[in-house]
Amino acid sequence: MQAQVEQWLKEGNVDIFIGYKNVDGHVIPHFFTNENIDEVKDLVVGQAHYSLEKIATKVAADHPDMKIGILLARSCNQQALHVLYGWNQLNPNQIQTIEAYEASSDPAFDLEQPEPVSSYKQKMGLEKSMAPKDVEAFDQQQRFSRWMYEFSKCIKCYGCRNICPVCFCKECSLEHKDLVRAGNLPPEIPIFHLVRAVHMAGRCIDCGLCEEACPADIPLRLLYRKVDEIVVDVFDYETGTSPDQSPFSVLGEKVVLDPVPINE
Amino acid sequence: MDYKFVPSVCPYCGTGCGVLFEVIDGKLVGTLPNKTHPVNEGKLCIKGWNMHEFVNSFMRLKQPLVKTFGRFMKTEWDEAIKITADRFKEIIEKHGPDSIGVLVSAKITNEENYLAQKFARAVIGTNNVDHCARL
Repeated sequence: MQAQVEQWLKEGNVDIFIGYKNVDGHVIPHFFTNENIDEVKDLVVGQAHYSLEKIATKVAADHPDMKIGILLARSCNQQALHVLYGWNQLNPNQIQTIEAYEASSDPAFDLEQPEPVSSYKQKMGLEKSMAPKDVEAFDQQQRFSRWMYEFSKCIKCYGCRNICPVCFCKECSLEHKDLVRAGNLPPEIPIFHLVRAVHMAGRCIDCGLCEEACPADIPLRLLYRKVDEIVVDVFDYETGTSPDQSPFSVLGEKVVLDPVPINE
Repeated sequence: MDYKFVPSVCPYCGTGCGVLFEVIDGKLVGTLPNKTHPVNEGKLCIKGWNMHEFVNSFMRLKQPLVKTFGRFMKTEWDEAIKITADRFKEIIEKHGPDSIGVLVSAKITNEENYLAQKFARAVIGTNNVDHCARL
């Protein structure tokens, strides 16, 4: 892996390589370039989950002609790249990747390692390790009250959006003053979370970073997995498995819902 | 072109969450939570997520201000410290050392907090020391 990166940088196949380096005991994202080629020996595969693809989109936005190398430490990294190619956030011709997967760093593996859950959360909320069908086993009222319990813990840190590898909009609906009023905690629920869930349709690659970043322990991954399930059922589109555009990137011919004025 | 991530600690409250600052060409452009930090384990609050904004804010105070005739005037550190020391001496002479209180902060280090209480007790001569995290 290191020899390959060194060769790429020396031969100019990539101008910058985004990987991991151990800094003071923390394995954090690091940029490797030809100018500091000696550092390539410190390149490691990180166990901590950072979105190197999202970092690459920022580099590409600043320098559109730059050739970028990316370390893929988990299978979802490749899926995220597919989504970003499909939405024109990265140019596949400018990207080189090195795969270094480990089974224990796969997002599916995390689901199989349930964390201990308090009895209160068991009674009131929803567990991260649940599958969408486990939630559907509750009756409608239970389902609603359990989701509302989870959403009511939200401290509106925007961490789920900020960490998301496939969130790239310049203007975010979650910051639109007519949709989400400023200054209230929790934010308007369930709309705040459902707006984000709808926007995840055809984008979410089930990497689980949002859930890891959530200080309020909201089972966001479960919510977006349900959304993904609908996308597969209705549109037969498996997000991230190919660089094809999602069905939501095509504009419809006409508006089918009547416009409703927003009440103050 | 110079991209790097710099590990640091959030200066807002006393929790001390680990963060990574995203630095491009010497300019701070983003903040990420440090995933392996034992305190926050990859999570941050909204203030922590937006730390790069206050560093680059045009409203940031970069030099001391002294209130003169009801208005804040920019001055140099030596001048500001001298004015403060003179006023402290006046107040202590007139009203006694207990007329002064020292508020320390979660945003400074343990060692700086120690120095501040030492200053309050040994230099000013008061036990009036409190801390914003002791709410």
